[in-house]
Amino acid sequence: MNSLIPLMVIVPILCALFLNLLHKKDRTIKIIAIILALILPALPILANYGLHYFGGYVPLIENPTLGTDLPSLITGTALNTFHPAITYSFQSAQKIFVFILGLVGLLAVFTSLFETRRPSGVYGYMMFMGIAAITAVLLTDDIFNLYVFFEIAALATVGIVLVSNIKGNYETALKYMILGGIAAPMLLLGVALLLGVTGNVNITDIIYSLKNGLVNPQSPVLLMACGLIVFGWLYGSGLPPFHTIKSAVYSKALPSGAALVQAFSVFTFIALGVIILRIFSYLPFSQWVILGVSLLAMILGITMAILQTDLRRMIGFLAVGELGYIGIGLGLGTVSGITAGLFQAVNEAVITAFLFIGFGTVLYQTGISDTRKLGGMMVRNPKVALLVLLAGFAMAGVPPLNAFQSKLMLIQASINAGLPELGVIMILLSIVTFMTFMKAFHAVFLRPKPADLEIKNENIPKATIIAMLVFLVVCIVFGLFPQVVTSYLQPLATSLGGVV
Amino acid sequence: MNLYDLIVKKIKDIQGTDDESPITNISTSSMLTAEITLISSILVALIMLRLVSKILMIVAVLVVLFAFLVAMPLMPRFKKEQNDSLAAMMFYVILALAIVIALFYWGNLNV
Repeated sequence: MNSLIPLMVIVPILCALFLNLLHKKDRTIKIIAIILALILPALPILANYGLHYFGGYVPLIENPTLGTDLPSLITGTALNTFHPAITYSFQSAQKIFVFILGLVGLLAVFTSLFETRRPSGVYGYMMFMGIAAITAVLLTDDIFNLYVFFEIAALATVGIVLVSNIKGNYETALKYMILGGIAAPMLLLGVALLLGVTGNVNITDIIYSLKNGLVNPQSPVLLMACGLIVFGWLYGSGLPPFHTIKSAVYSKALPSGAALVQAFSVFTFIALGVIILRIFSYLPFSQWVILGVSLLAMILGITMAILQTDLRRMIGFLAVGELGYIGIGLGLGTVSGITAGLFQAVNEAVITAFLFIGFGTVLYQTGISDTRKLGGMMVRNPKVALLVLLAGFAMAGVPPLNAFQSKLMLIQASINAGLPELGVIMILLSIVTFMTFMKAFHAVFLRPKPADLEIKNENIPKATIIAMLVFLVVCIVFGLFPQVVTSYLQPLATSLGGVV
Repeated sequence: MNLYDLIVKKIKDIQGTDDESPITNISTSSMLTAEITLISSILVALIMLRLVSKILMIVAVLVVLFAFLVAMPLMPRFKKEQNDSLAAMMFYVILALAIVIALFYWGNLNV
C-alpha cells in the first residue's frame, strides 16, 4: 500500500483547495474539513513502510530490463544506484511524526471550526496547506523538494497569522516574511552548492557521493553549504536569532493556528536537523553547533518567557525554549540522545498545542491575553483550569506525564555522553519553566477576578474541551508507556547514532 | 543601590514614561529569576570548556563571572535587545549568518 505515501501530502492539499473554493458555504466547509481532517492521522497508520518514486522512475539497479541496453559507463558506476525521481521515504519515525502532526492538525481544525462563528475557508486552506507542506518536509528524500515545501509552510504560517483577526498581526506577518526573505534564499543557496558539488539533490545519493570518495568532503564549498543549511534550519525552527519573531508569530495567531504553527516549527526542526546529521555527520563541528544553538535557545527562550505578561507570547517563548531540549538530544549524537531528542519533539508538539488551546479558552471568553488584566477564571471554569494545569505540568516534566520521560532520557543521555553539565542546565530550566507556567496560571485562574474584567463568551465550545482531553490522554499514555513512541524512533536514532 | 533597586529602575527605563502600570512584585521577582537563571546556566555551560582545556575553562568562568558582576543586572538589557523592532531583528540575523558561515568555513578547515 505504498500509494498511501503520496496521499499523506495530496489529501491535505486537495482539502485546502476545496475549502478555498467553498468559501462562505459555512456548513459544507465544516463537514468537509472534519471528514478530511480525520483522515490525516489515519493515513500514516494505514500506510506500509517503504519508498515512493514519483513518476515511477526507480533507480536503474531496481529495473534490470532497462539497464540491459545501457552502456557500462552508466550501469557499472554509481549512476546505476542513483535516484532519478523525487523520492519519499516512509519509515517508522516518519509514521509517528506524521501521525502526531495529523492529530494536532485534526484537533486544531476541530477547535477552530467551533470557536469561530463563521468558519473561514481561507483559514482552513492555510491550515491544511501547512500540514501538507510539513508532511512533505518529513517524508521527502530530495533536498530541493524539501526547500519548496519549506517555503510553502512559511507562506502558510504567514497566512494563518494574516487571517487571524488579532491586533498587530499584519505587522508581525510582514516582519516574518522580510526575515524569511533573508534566511530562505540562504537555505536555497546551500542546496544549490550541494547540487553543484555532488551533482545531486537526493539526500541518500549525496551521502553516497561523500562516503565513497566521489567528491571531496572537505571541499570549502561543502562547508559553506553546511553553514547555509544550518542558517535555514535556525529560521525554519525559530531558533536564535529568529526566536523573537517566531514567538511573536505564535502570539499573533488564533490559539488553534498557534497550536498548529508551533507543530510546524517542531517538525521542521526535526526534518532539517536529521538531514544535517545525515549529510554532515563527518564534521564533528556540526554537532557542536547544534548543541550550542540549542543551549542558547533554551536559555534565551525560557528566561524571556518568565518576563512576559502576555499569555500567548509567554507560551511562544516557552515553545522556543523547549525546542532546545530536542536539539540537545540530536547534538549529543548518541543513539540514546537522539531517541530522547526525537521523543521530546513528539511530546513538545502535543504539549504546546495543548497549552495554546487551553489558555486560548481564556482568550475566547475574555478577548484578553494580558495576565495583568485577568483573574478569577478558576471559579468560572474549574474543569478547564484543571486541564490547563495538567498541560503545564506536562511541559515542565512532572511525572507521570510524557515530557517527564523524554526529559529524564535526555538527562541520562547527556550524563552517559560525558556532558553532565547539560543535564544540570536542563533540570534548572525545567524548574524555571514550571515557575513561569505557575506564574501565568496564578494570574489567570487563582487571583481574584478584576472588577472591570468582562466575560464576552460564557460557554467554552465542547469541541475545545474534547481537544484538550485528547491531548491529555496522549500525554498520559506516552508518559506511562514511553516505549509506544520510542520503539518507532529507535531505528532512525540507531542509523544516525551509528554515523555520528 | 542594591540589585533589587537596580532591577526596578531598569524595568522603569524599559517601560518608559508612556506605560503607567506600576512595577509589581511579580515583575520584579520574574526579572530576578531570569537574571539568576541566565547567569547560572551560562556559567554551568562554560564548564564544558574542560573538554578543550581545563585552564581555559577556569579562566573563562572567572572572566565571565567578573563581567556579569560588573554588568549586572543583565536581563533588562537582554530584554531590550530582544524586542520586536525589525531593525534589531535584522541586525542579529545578519550577525548570526556571519558567525555561522565563519565558524563552519574556518572552524572546520582549521580543526
